[in-house]
Amino acid sequence: MHRLVGLLLTVTVGLVLADSAIVTLALPEMLEELDATVTEVAWVLISYNLVLGVFAVPAALKRVRAHPRLLAAVGIAVFAGASAWCAAAPTIEVLIAARCLQALGGAFALVGALELMVALWGERRGVATWVTAGVVGTAAGPVAGGLLTEAISWQAIFVAQVPFAALAVPAALAVRPVPAAPAEDPDLEASHRPVVGHNVTQALLGAALTAALFLLVLLLVQGWRHSPAVAALTVSVIPVAALAARPLARLLRPPPDVEVAAGCLLVAGGLVGLALPPSADLWWTVAPQALVGLGLGLSVDQLTYRAMEGRQPRARHAAWTISARHLGVVVGLAVLTPVFTADLLAAEEPATEAIAALVIDAPLPPGDKVSLARALGEHLTEQRGQVPELSGAFADLEVAAEDEAAVSTLEADLDDQLDRAVSLAFRDSYLIGAGLALLALLTVGVTAAAGAVTRRRSVA
Amino acid sequence: MSPLLRLGALPGLALALVAGVAGVQVAAGGGDFRPLQPADACVDRSVTSQADGIEGLTEQLVLLGVDDAACTLDVSREALTLELAQQDEPTDAQVDAVREGLRAAVQELADDDALPPSSELVDEALDSADLNALVAAAIRALPDSVIDDALPTEDVLLRAVDELDVRAILSDLDDADALNTAVQEAVVQAVRDELTDRVRNLL
Repeated sequence: MHRLVGLLLTVTVGLVLADSAIVTLALPEMLEELDATVTEVAWVLISYNLVLGVFAVPAALKRVRAHPRLLAAVGIAVFAGASAWCAAAPTIEVLIAARCLQALGGAFALVGALELMVALWGERRGVATWVTAGVVGTAAGPVAGGLLTEAISWQAIFVAQVPFAALAVPAALAVRPVPAAPAEDPDLEASHRPVVGHNVTQALLGAALTAALFLLVLLLVQGWRHSPAVAALTVSVIPVAALAARPLARLLRPPPDVEVAAGCLLVAGGLVGLALPPSADLWWTVAPQALVGLGLGLSVDQLTYRAMEGRQPRARHAAWTISARHLGVVVGLAVLTPVFTADLLAAEEPATEAIAALVIDAPLPPGDKVSLARALGEHLTEQRGQVPELSGAFADLEVAAEDEAAVSTLEADLDDQLDRAVSLAFRDSYLIGAGLALLALLTVGVTAAAGAVTRRRSVA
Repeated sequence: MSPLLRLGALPGLALALVAGVAGVQVAAGGGDFRPLQPADACVDRSVTSQADGIEGLTEQLVLLGVDDAACTLDVSREALTLELAQQDEPTDAQVDAVREGLRAAVQELADDDALPPSSELVDEALDSADLNALVAAAIRALPDSVIDDALPTEDVLLRAVDELDVRAILSDLDDADALNTAVQEAVVQAVRDELTDRVRNLL
């Protein structure tokens, strides 16, 4: 029973944080089914992260924190109900409203679950499980969302969460009350201010990771035109690599600041790698993703520990880390979305010119070239504003048997040009993400230096 | 593990991994994965065609002519082609540039000795031309050598270019048959005019 309760609370923490990016692979389907604009669909992601970021700290207020069982149970129940509402949303506006409510419930669920997990397993293991569940949930969200979207529908993402969350409500109520922590007297609470440095680093990393978790899946599905399932399997490298971070850290036993710094460097390097793919072959994303996942695993949980370490009340400091990370995601989306949208629009002209060049020079009879050019023109006009699917233009083309090979080669070459144009359009956004990760690395250095000065002063 | 190793091992490993991944990506062409850049329209390029006869010659002339026109208009060949395809009506500058480009293309092929003898064009043009049977038969009766001597291909094509309604063709680029028909009609017309001129000169 004890184990089941712990498992359900852990899964709930993972789900709440997975929801931050779980719908990324479902966005194209939502766009079509709910007849929404790109900006509206982006708000399905933004609204959740914004509400979670804004309400995490208020959810950890002393009066609320005093009743962790109730706090967690109500939060999880609201999260479950809102997830069901998301699945049933008939319009994009309703879906965004449901996502806000889901995040609100999620904020209370996270704070309450932390207290309950500490009650179940003690301070060290409880916090460690809570942090790990969050990291794995964040990294695995897009994978789970993509597989469910491909296998069933985008609604399945939300429906699948309901039973886990619903079962977690009685599980939360079943945990024995936690005795008030001795450190929670008003004076001590006032002296434990939030750790600004680590939370700023967390926010910057959250913004940088947006490039990997959000832009990469968009590149795979919208840009390189893979199915959500293929994209989901591809991005599963990130959570797998994140899981490898702990054993690596245990092996090398670096100081915490060094571990975070190395994590930031790996995230930055991974994003640079994603910005420079030699082709649209999925294998070229594996090594950069592994760097990002390893960096995420090394930095995010260590930052969360450091921000909470020895600080009371733990729930409030945990809430600050949640708030920093998810507001960072919102900033990341706000900064990167206009950049890659503008770059995608700017990529249209060079892509069209490259397609024109290849068609003009194709080893085909002139009549076939003109027919193909006409069909391509129609397809490009129909699909303006999105990365076009050119196969339709070739489907109706009737050519002599001896020209079929040339037509196949031309189709592959045109797809390659689209891949090139789209990959180039994402480059700046990845590099900005890498810049944010390097900025996070800088804050680690500044925080470490400030800490050393403070320690020296207190010794003096 | 020594404190120094604890301090340096992970950052060292991270740096090595980042450098390794970025290095392999760049070495494999990561920095150059971008769309094909349009070639400079003012730089000569060789053109070929998969088609024979007038259709093949027309394609070669159009490819060279559009290149020359794009160079005159200071745009790429692809940009000009897309502009012409997307506009309802070509501008006067585009019409003039394309006509001059086609004339330059004829000259270029003539300089390269790449033009077919006019008798080949005449045969094909007569096959599809709506011409008085007597006139057609009279032209067919002429030996190829007479036609080739009397009608230099360069002159026929230059006359054909002058006869072409470039504006109408550019307004309807989608219709490949219309373009070919227009060229064939222009060739026949040029042959007739050229023959008429020659006969008039003889008389």
